Formats: sequence, C-alpha cells, structure tokens
Amino acid sequence: MRIPKAKSENQKSKIGSSVRVAGLLIFLLGLALLVAALLGSEKLSFFELDERHAAILFDIRLPRIFLGATVGASLALAGASLQSLLRNPLAEPYLLGVSNGAALGTMLAFVFFSQAEWARPVMAFAGASLATFVVYQMAKSRAGMNVERLVLAGVIVTTFLSSIIVLMTSLIDATKLRSFTFWLLGDLSQSTKNGFYLSFCAVLIGGFILTRQARALNLMMIGERDAFDFGVEVDKTRLAVFAASSLLVGTAVAASGSVGYVGLIVPHLVRLVIGSDNRLVIPFSALAGAIFVVLADTIARVAIAPRELPVGAITALIGAPLFIYLLRKD
Amino acid sequence: MLVSDVLRQKRAGLFIFIFILKKNAQKQKPTFAPLRLCGKFASESFALLCVLSLVFLLSSCKSEPIQESANVQTREITDDLGRGVKIPETVERAVSLAPNLTEIAFAVGAGDKLAGVTTYCDYPIEAQKIQKVGDTVNPNVESIIALKPQVVLVSTASQIESFTKQLEAQNIAVFVTNPNSLDDIYNSINKIGEIFGRNEKAREVVGNLQKRVAFIESKTGAAEKTKVFVQISKEPLFTIGRESFLTDLIERAGGVSLTKNVAAAYPKLSKETALASNPDSIILSDSEDNREPNELFKDSPAVRNGRIFRVNADIISRPGPRLVDALEQIARALHPESFK
Repeated sequence: MRIPKAKSENQKSKIGSSVRVAGLLIFLLGLALLVAALLGSEKLSFFELDERHAAILFDIRLPRIFLGATVGASLALAGASLQSLLRNPLAEPYLLGVSNGAALGTMLAFVFFSQAEWARPVMAFAGASLATFVVYQMAKSRAGMNVERLVLAGVIVTTFLSSIIVLMTSLIDATKLRSFTFWLLGDLSQSTKNGFYLSFCAVLIGGFILTRQARALNLMMIGERDAFDFGVEVDKTRLAVFAASSLLVGTAVAASGSVGYVGLIVPHLVRLVIGSDNRLVIPFSALAGAIFVVLADTIARVAIAPRELPVGAITALIGAPLFIYLLRKD
Repeated sequence: MLVSDVLRQKRAGLFIFIFILKKNAQKQKPTFAPLRLCGKFASESFALLCVLSLVFLLSSCKSEPIQESANVQTREITDDLGRGVKIPETVERAVSLAPNLTEIAFAVGAGDKLAGVTTYCDYPIEAQKIQKVGDTVNPNVESIIALKPQVVLVSTASQIESFTKQLEAQNIAVFVTNPNSLDDIYNSINKIGEIFGRNEKAREVVGNLQKRVAFIESKTGAAEKTKVFVQISKEPLFTIGRESFLTDLIERAGGVSLTKNVAAAYPKLSKETALASNPDSIILSDSEDNREPNELFKDSPAVRNGRIFRVNADIISRPGPRLVDALEQIARALHPESFK
C-alpha cells in the first residue's frame, strides 16, 4: 500500500519541480530579452523615443535579439535530441559537421543563386541533412552505434567540409565572399525580419516534432533494440529527429552562420538540473538555448562598441571551458 | 655572447635532456615497439641524434646571412615599422607585394625594376605582364626567392612576420610601408624613389600630387563640412575608422567621417551606430557586393537627397598616387558648388 502512495507523491513533487524550473526559465528568458533590449551601442531614451531611436529599437535591435533567441533554441533543440537519439553526450550540430554542411549549402546558394533569398535556408537544410546522413552512415556498424566512431565520423566530416569552405573562399573572388569570413564564425548582425520569421517557424515545427518524439527518445536511450521491444518505431523516430534537427540547424545557420557549442552545453546544463527525461529536457533546452545566445550576443554587441564581435566567438569562449568542466566532473 | 658560452649552454641543456630521458626510461617501459627491442641504448642515442641535429640546424640558420651581406654595399632606409632596412646601393630587381606599391614604383619610373608583383597588381597595364607571386595576403615565398630580388616591398596587409625572417635569411631586404594619411603616402613615394635611386622623379611626383591636393583644399576649405559615411562593405557593415587614410582624405575633401573616432582601420560597425550617425552623404567603395547603401540608411538625408557616391574600389582602397584621383572625385561630389 505504501509504495504506490510514495510513488505518486514523488511524481507530484517531480511535476512541481519541473513546473518551477519551467517558470524560472521563462522568467530568465524574459529578463535576458529585456537586458538585451536595453543594452546596445547606442543609448536609447526609452520614455521619449524619437523616430530614429524607434528605428534603431524596432528595425535593428529587436529583430536581432529575437533571431538570437530562435537560433539558440534551434541549436539547443537539435543538440538535445541528437544526444538522446545517438546515445552520445558529445553529439552536437557543430561537432558532428551538421552546421558545416548547412554553412556549405548556404555558400553554394550564394554562389549559384545569389538573387534568391529563399535559396539559402533551403540549401542549408539540404546540406545539414546530407551531413547528418553521411555521419550516421559512417558511424553505424554491425554492432550498432559506437560513441567513438560517431565522434570520429563527426570530426572527419567537419574538417572535410571546412576544407571545402576554405577552398571556396580562396578560389572565389575575395570581394564576393568577404561577407562569409565573418559569418562563418557566427554573426547575428545580418539578421532580417524575414530571417527571424523563418527561424521562428522552424523552431515551432522542429520543437513540435521533437517533443512528440521525446517519449520514444527516452526509450531509445536504453538501446535501440530495447526501444523496439517496447514498441518504438525506431526507424521512424530516427528519421523524424534527423529531419527536425536538420531543419533547425539549416535555418539557424542560414540566418547566423555557425554558432558553436550551444547544442552541446545547453542540454547538458538542463540535464544537470532536471535529470534526463527528454519530455522535459527538449523543451527546457529550447528556452535555455535562447537565453544563452541572447546573452552571448549582447556581449558581442556591447563589448567593443561601436565595433562588433562575432557571437560564435563568445559562445565558444564560454562553452569550451564549461564543457571541459562538465567532462571532468563526470 | 661568446661562442664557447653558447656551446657550453647547449651541451649542458643536452645533458639535462638525456638525463630526463634516462629517468623516464627507468620509470616506465617504452611502449613503442622498436624502442622496446633496442632498449635504453637506442632511446638515448636517438635523443642525442635529435638534439644534435637541432643544434646543428639552429647554428646553421644563424650564420648564413652575416657571411653574405658583408660584401655588398648597403645604405639604411627607415621603413614604416621604424626598422632600419639595409638596401643595396643599386636596386635592379625588386618584388612588390601590394598593388599600391606597384603603382608607386611605376610612378617613380622604376616599373622595369619589378621582377614580381601580386595578382592584385593590375595598374598600370604594364604591371599585368609582370610575373605573379601570389596575392598580398598569401604571397608565395618560394616564387619570391626564385626571382632573386634584392628588395621586397610589402604593406602591413601581408602577414609580414611569417615571411620576413625567411626572406632576410636569404639576404633579401624587406621594406614595410603602412600609410595612414596622404602625408604618409608622399613619404612612401619618396622612400620608394630613394630605394630605386629615383629621388628626383619621386619628388616631382609628390610635388604634382601636392599641387593637386592644394587646389582641392583651396576649393573645399571654406565649404561647410558635410557628414560622410564611407561604406566599405554592405553586409556585414564595414566602414573606415581612425587608422584609415580615407578618414584624412574625407577631411581634405570638405567632409567629416562620422566614424573617425572608431578604433581600427576598417571596423565592422554596429548597425545601431550606423543608423544613429544619420549621414548627409554616403560614399561607397564600388564593388559587386557594395553597389548600394545598406537598407538601414533608407531614411537618412543621404538616401533621401540622393547623395550616394560610388568611387572605384581600386582607386579608393590603394594608398598610392591614384588616391588623389579619389580625393578629386569625392571633393567634387561633396561640394559641386565649389567647382563651378
């Protein structure tokens, strides 16, 4: 008699704590957005906005902040779900070469269809999907997925794609690809309202698909065969996660270049706080990723104003040491 | 330092190195298969060989240039990094690693002395026929050395440190220029003239440029300074900063660069600051991806009044004699009323 009662109480407190965490994250996201909106290279008097200050706030600062939020959410969502699907804590769009696939797709779109704005996210999505597929095929062996193989495959695909990108920037006329040298490091300054709308839609669609797969992902963390025995359609889940993460990474990269480490450290931090239940990890990672990139981009905008730093340099600067710390702690 | 001192130090270092290796070898078994077979003796003699060859390499590197340079008459000319560069008495073969330096060499009548130039060097037309040695950012050191130049002219746009030592080891003088203003450009022209023994011609070129600049300044001096934004790249937004020679140029053309206080020569500027700067005129360094002003300027007086001026990117970006052409174009664009 006692055991089920204790269990239900435990569950109740679990729900209570996750609601608290969700509330806290939403509050923090609001706070981060507010801080980001208040800070910038130009000081705005918010109570008497003249025409030009309004333009700065509404045409430049806010679209960039919101794009930062959706990019952070996209990358963290992709990282969280890939880590569970591949049963690998190191799975991250940037480290697996997915970001570089998207970057190469964007550059090809720029070279061949420079006039068409829609071509960049589409080609980025294609590049991300292709990179994901190649890494997965390389890492798969008869014995199943192996952690080291996956990381190695990711490193190989990443460096291979980087070398193609470097070759392209060397071979193609310098002025034409000049904008890409900055963008490759992750740069939110080229944000447009359309870019934000697209990224926002991708977060909604990708987030919806991934949260629906959360339960299946929980079972797949035990092992693909066990998940299959529990009635999970393993192939379908894998396809859904690959497609959703490619969509998320593709749109994020097309809008802002390769912002690294977000998909790695954000889900890890979330798991440290609320455990490894994907039904919570996936949505919470989206919120935390948004907070992380919004704050990192605020540093990038303000640190040496009126000049700017690439946001990818900031996320890597924070992310890499944090990641080493997390690795050593385990 | 005495040679014997150095040698003694090196030997001491060598013994310490071997000692450490020995201690390590005792502590743990070598895992590398050949080492395990041959045992301690092999690892020691291998280390000895490594260290000896390193010592040999280091000493051979250092001795070469001193021996050769002794038998060539040189004079010392100070470059823009403040280094006294030893230039041979007569320079017959030189390499230029920047298009503006190539233009200056031709202007002082020493174009025929250039044995190699970069792929960017397309002016004057004769420069296109000269052998290419890579571009300014990635020059090919092997092709430069193969041309056996006496002097290599470089700008700070090249990664100087990486190849200066290599070239100097080959007894090739490296002369660095870094002009930040028109006066610095005159200085570059005079010094390059001096290198090629064309001092007269260089002074004549500078004199003519100064005359043209003085004429422009006499016209624009009294005019009201207009607020100018120079757009180097549309997306991401790059402009000119404190260290750019264009800041000086805009001033002389009767304008004031809105970003003249921003650190660095060509900073990536915050779009907020660009929008707030509200320029009266926008000057575009005219290239394929920079033909229009950034969208954020759509409500600025410059766009509303159609005061958008394009200047050929080659002319505006090369701190050489043709920069005065850019000055004339900009001054006439900013103050058409003064030139009637």
